[in-house]
Amino acid sequence: MMMTRRSALKGVAAAALSGLTGGPARAGDAAAGGGILRQWYKVVLMLVRHTATYSPPVASRAFAYLGVAAYQAVASGSTSLVPLAGQLNGLKALPPRDPLKRYSDAVIAHCVMASAVKTFFGNTGPTGQRVMAAAEKKLKGDALKGLPDDVIGASLAYGETLKAAIVDWSKDDGGAVIENMGFPMEYPVSKEPGRWNPTSPIRMQQFPLLPTWGLNRTFAMPSGTSCGLPPPPAYSEDPNSAFMRQAREVHEVTAHLTPEQIAIARFWSDDPMLSFTPPGHWIAIAHDLLADKNAGLDETAEVMMRLGVAMADGFIGCWNAKFRYDYVRPVTVIRKLIDAKWEPLLITPPFPEYPSGHSTESGAAAAVLTSIYGDNFAFTDSTHARDGLGERTFESFNAAAGEAGISRLYGGIHFRPAIEQGLAQGRCIAQFAIGLRTRRPA
Amino acid sequence: MRTIVIASAALLLTARAAFAAGTPVVPAFVEETKDSGIGSVYTGEWQYMVGGGAAAFDCNGDGFGDVLIAGGGMPATFYVNKSVKGGQLKFAKQQSGLEFDAMTGAYPLDIDGDGIMDVVVLRVGENIVMRGKGDCRFTRANEAWGFAGGDGWSTAYAATWEQGNQWPTIAIGNYIDRTQELEPWGSCTPNVMQRPRPGGRGFAAPIELKPSHCPLSMLFTDWNNSGTPDLRMANDREYYEGGQEQLWQMRPGQPPRLYTKADGWAYLRIWGMGIAGYDLDGDGFQEYAITSMADNKLQTLKEPPQDGSPPRPTYKDVAWPKGVTAHRPFTGGDLKPSTAWHTDFQDVNNDGLADLFIAKGNVSEMPDFAMKDPNNLLVQGKDGKFIEMADKAGVASTGTSRGAALADFNLDGLIDMLVVNRNAPAQIWRNVTQGAGNWIEVKLREPGGNVNAIGAMVEVKTELGRQTREVVSGGGHVSGQSGWVHFGIGGARTAQVRVRWPGGDWSKPYAVNANQFAIFDRTAETATAWQPPR
Repeated sequence: MMMTRRSALKGVAAAALSGLTGGPARAGDAAAGGGILRQWYKVVLMLVRHTATYSPPVASRAFAYLGVAAYQAVASGSTSLVPLAGQLNGLKALPPRDPLKRYSDAVIAHCVMASAVKTFFGNTGPTGQRVMAAAEKKLKGDALKGLPDDVIGASLAYGETLKAAIVDWSKDDGGAVIENMGFPMEYPVSKEPGRWNPTSPIRMQQFPLLPTWGLNRTFAMPSGTSCGLPPPPAYSEDPNSAFMRQAREVHEVTAHLTPEQIAIARFWSDDPMLSFTPPGHWIAIAHDLLADKNAGLDETAEVMMRLGVAMADGFIGCWNAKFRYDYVRPVTVIRKLIDAKWEPLLITPPFPEYPSGHSTESGAAAAVLTSIYGDNFAFTDSTHARDGLGERTFESFNAAAGEAGISRLYGGIHFRPAIEQGLAQGRCIAQFAIGLRTRRPA
Repeated sequence: MRTIVIASAALLLTARAAFAAGTPVVPAFVEETKDSGIGSVYTGEWQYMVGGGAAAFDCNGDGFGDVLIAGGGMPATFYVNKSVKGGQLKFAKQQSGLEFDAMTGAYPLDIDGDGIMDVVVLRVGENIVMRGKGDCRFTRANEAWGFAGGDGWSTAYAATWEQGNQWPTIAIGNYIDRTQELEPWGSCTPNVMQRPRPGGRGFAAPIELKPSHCPLSMLFTDWNNSGTPDLRMANDREYYEGGQEQLWQMRPGQPPRLYTKADGWAYLRIWGMGIAGYDLDGDGFQEYAITSMADNKLQTLKEPPQDGSPPRPTYKDVAWPKGVTAHRPFTGGDLKPSTAWHTDFQDVNNDGLADLFIAKGNVSEMPDFAMKDPNNLLVQGKDGKFIEMADKAGVASTGTSRGAALADFNLDGLIDMLVVNRNAPAQIWRNVTQGAGNWIEVKLREPGGNVNAIGAMVEVKTELGRQTREVVSGGGHVSGQSGWVHFGIGGARTAQVRVRWPGGDWSKPYAVNANQFAIFDRTAETATAWQPPR
């Protein structure tokens, strides 16, 4: 991804950490650590795509915990970074470093990522297992290069301790166990008009994905209801109703899609198991941004932490609303009331419509990145280049989020209110992640 | 009518009575692995997580199907069939020259048209074509025939004789670049196709079929009844980037061309792992079973033309209404999603309706998918819907299954079953179904290079209706067979058999009496009755 920086970094101090408590042991530890951490994120993005339980909400959860782990790897030895204990729900004080030992932030970051990735993606397939082992071997070699044994030993041990504490914290959040790829074995599907009905011929998708995800423990925001939404248009078959107007809009827009609109829909489709998912798409954007500026370890960790927390909270809030309103998908309405043979461009996701998950995620992600890098940060997004979907250039993160939102209308899987309210919900939820205190006053 | 093959009156009467009831006869199988002489294991590390095929074919001319089973990291094993008609399944391990290591699967194919079966061996590493020397001995022919063995991770195969050729066209499907430890995803290596050398025997240089999307099965099949098979590929979405299921249009002398959305090809992205075709609804166009994970597809043309015009390759999935989603174990306590591999349509109770077998097994300790994943035997009822009967039939093995061969190994008119398991012995079952219907089994012969008439269509008409089966070389999951083409005919006493020979029109009908083997020669006026020698 080509990145053009147009605004000064806000909130992230210039990389200045020594990386070692008790004195530096290697010049450039922070710079090396930033690269190593980003390489781990590349591995994680691949694992998200290729691990069957990693639907978008599950992916967002992993990004949050991994982001917090990486951030704490640095903050635990920093005089300028503020630990997150007490700021994130359920996160008590994390194990401190031993003041008598010397550490490398880069080694700790590597170790905590290697170990946490093995935990969060322990259920991946044989190829993923092989990749994790190969990545650990390679990146460990990179991280340990030139360091004395005492630093290596202390750093690896602390990384394992920190990872264990993060994993312990994660266990009771409600999202730790995913069965049947997230689809319940039983679920009372409503028969009321205007409610969600299955839209897929796939048997396991006759019940909606992760119906209790909205009840999970949130990270930075108080609860899944913290950024509630107004109800969507009430079901009505009156041609003049708001309900029918939104349905007709989807039908009409999708009947006359331009090549550009089709490209937009496909670019932001971000299907699970065929892409990094919506939160992974934004992690990829951040990854490339950070790589482009060769960001150090503290900046990389902080950006990934805020982004992960915001998007994990975003999906909890979004899912809370989805299952509160249990709203019908366009394909159900349009085929019943407008055009029996209508086919949306994208595959309709197997869960309620309102609000749009990608919109909530994108609203949250764009708000976080805007808070750090400003509102006029132009960038080129090449997340899907290897999938043959090309690159897209945006004037700002908000412009990208807006396109991600409207892509769901072009794809025929959301009505406009779900997009607009989803983006607004995401922006609201992001404020909790943006509000996390990470920098000590100078 | 050309030939009447004599049938047994006693058997005919039994079958007619059984099929009066109108409900599917529950098939019954007896596992005879322990005493069969079969003891092969498909094993090995990561690069053998897929594969695990078997080839069934007659290599000594006795009419009984002999068997080659891939061993993965261990040498493959060849077994000569020692069974007698209607008896227990008996095999004897025999050195054949096919005992390669790194074998993922194999397909029989008489490449040089000498009437002696050859074998295409798929491997992690160099693929090898083995020329049959007779009496189940084989010798390497890569160099003699110009076959490019490559150095890939080969996981799919299909062969056809393109119009006018005396030598086959072979397509090989290759999986990922096995050297890519850090970024294996997106590293699908090129599939290749070798057409005949111009004007002569042997293969021309290979051409790449790109984009390649990691197929785990491929099949030359005449999906549109054009008389020219196209190449269908089931691709594993786990590894491709920007990929999808594929159908390549094949035209003699022309480069293969992918069917596109403009042609009507619908975007489908699944963990494609196995293919089997059969015209289930009798409309003249085949349905295709495509295996995957957590879901399986049964595709039928969305808009089959009613006026004889060519169809568009737009398929819809009817797996659910037909009862063949087989998305999770149907028995046992493991309710996690299934992982499906080899698949084949065969009529296991001879009621004139093709049934569907699916081999199941976890890829490799993937905890989100069933570890105890029983194989499926989905028996078709008269309403066209399938009923799971693997448990009742005694074949619901929960081994980690991969490839399979469904063939009449003891030539009693009932389809038996060989299943290859990963890290556990292969299993074999004898079909002992009581009350099964009548049957016929046919072999095709034609002059020229395509001696076994690969690409022919065989149509069988009885009072039950019409069945049509394509004679193919490919599909399933790295498992292929050659030999008797089996049809159940229920209570019918006779069947009218027509053949659409490769590159030709439909023959006149031959009459074949029930419960007989018959050999059809394209140049002969009559079909020849055949009897097992023992």
